[in-house]
Amino acid sequence: MRETRRPIPKVPTQIAGLDAVLDGGLPRGRISLASGGPGSGKTVLGLEFLWRGAMAGDPGVFVTFEERAEAVRSNARSLGWDLAALEKAGKMAIIEAHLSGNEVVSGDFDIQGLLTIVAGHVMRIRARRVVMDALDVLLRVYADPQRERTELYRLQDWLIDRKLTSVVSVKAQLDGNMAHRYEFLDFMADCVIRLDHRVNGHVATRRLRVIKYRGSGFGTNEYPYVIGEHGIVLFPLTKAQLTHRPLGQRVSSGLAGLDAMLDGGFRRGACVLIAGSSGTGKTTLASAFARAAARRREKVLYLNFEESQEGMVAGMLSTGIDLRPALRTQRLMVQTALPEAMGSDNHLMRVIDALDKFKPAHLILDAISACVRMGSEKAAFDYLMRLVAVLKERGITCILTNQSNGLAGACEELSGIGFSSVVDAVIQLRFVDAGQEIGRQILIIKSRGSGHSNRREPFYITPQGIEFPNNLRPPSARAGQADPKGGGK
Amino acid sequence: MSKAPKVRLRKGNGQRGRYLLRLFIAGNGPNSKKAVANLRGLCRMHLNGRCTIETVDVVKDFQAAVRDNILVTPALIRVLPRPRVMVLGNLSDLSKVLAALGLSGSDS
Repeated sequence: MRETRRPIPKVPTQIAGLDAVLDGGLPRGRISLASGGPGSGKTVLGLEFLWRGAMAGDPGVFVTFEERAEAVRSNARSLGWDLAALEKAGKMAIIEAHLSGNEVVSGDFDIQGLLTIVAGHVMRIRARRVVMDALDVLLRVYADPQRERTELYRLQDWLIDRKLTSVVSVKAQLDGNMAHRYEFLDFMADCVIRLDHRVNGHVATRRLRVIKYRGSGFGTNEYPYVIGEHGIVLFPLTKAQLTHRPLGQRVSSGLAGLDAMLDGGFRRGACVLIAGSSGTGKTTLASAFARAAARRREKVLYLNFEESQEGMVAGMLSTGIDLRPALRTQRLMVQTALPEAMGSDNHLMRVIDALDKFKPAHLILDAISACVRMGSEKAAFDYLMRLVAVLKERGITCILTNQSNGLAGACEELSGIGFSSVVDAVIQLRFVDAGQEIGRQILIIKSRGSGHSNRREPFYITPQGIEFPNNLRPPSARAGQADPKGGGK
Repeated sequence: MSKAPKVRLRKGNGQRGRYLLRLFIAGNGPNSKKAVANLRGLCRMHLNGRCTIETVDVVKDFQAAVRDNILVTPALIRVLPRPRVMVLGNLSDLSKVLAALGLSGSDS
């Protein structure tokens, strides 16, 4: 028989993305445990929980067993959090709880002193949240696992008796024995969060996982997160982010010939992949789209992982595409970055930040083949999946270029199960040996929700732009029908 | 509710070699009682009363615990002579306490 339980009361953390994973927040009046290695962000997590609470009028006490209070304040300041002001306003208290390590131990003792100090501050500011950062440092004073355990139970009872919503952080021990030592901490907490900071191919990535949550559902995946400019940002692929908008109206590719092949152009909000080997004209095609969009007074965000803005503008000028007016009118924004400059999570956050501020109608990413340099193929795949999910949710058209070698289906070349499913249209460019010279051909491999040409069409890149020598007409016109929603491939 | 011992002064034999010891306890539990008794015994037996003992109950005076950063109780601080020394626990291991206070091998 299934027990019907009332949902347990929760305290939202207000940390970006975390409450979605925690199905609402941390358990009210209970203990949550955050563990992770050095640099995983345990301190920031606890601090952000308190800071956001205090800013919303819910005071909290931060107990630091490792860092100096001044170090905590200055770290917080770098994230834009003024703790000193909150302390002055009686919304926060920071307790520096250090043992020097030089103490002589003679006989039994307990942590009543600490609890007394914390109780004093809790009463003074009427705190309802308590964070104990690096509790393992305090526990080390007991060189006896049994005593550690009884003291933890004392702490647990004390926190729960006072109905304090608490976050206790401990360093995950790299040493196998020590890991076992703090295993029982998981039992005292109602919610256990593991933070992981790993380095893959010289690029750091952070992952958060909820191990357990008594009486509540929670997201069970590993979620990437970054410590951004204003705190922790999680990227859960929540249900909301997976509900894509349907494809929108037609939008011109910027090239009459290509529009004809596409039965009128791209669909707004679609994800279009332009694949081809180096020099086939991927950037030129994408730039033609950007220029046309800007002329229609629509904004385009161009992510360039391959070359500088100046290099790109100069290169496009030689093909007759002048991007300077679009840049001048600020309808085109170019964001360049070396893929290896930061982890994929930071890249993603940077884009999302730009999307929020610039609010483009379209985004161009040139090129996804460079994304592998963010660390690994997996990191690149994660980055692209999450980015496309965000774009689809917001109805932003997305043009991806991909440098692919050979003539194999560009779609299959994208490793990772499921990526091709988010791509709505695939355009392949290639070189052909045309006797005395090299020619170029374009082929539409798929175009979801639209009829399209199935022919390889020749095209030229001239100093005046891209030219299609054949007089192209939309396939629906050729077939004698004009159903714009026409049937797929 | 039982009263914890308040500040208690014991006159010593002159100022030279005077000890000022501050004992922090929390309430009147077994460890508190043991610590108080152990420290009194130590003072009598090893310092001939040349010591001043301040006993602070952190439950009643949390600011005092804050001032001296007392996280665990019982805790003993040798305030004088300098340097400051801290001993944690109910002081049941006499030889360790004596060593920490610099009284090993002293007259009894």
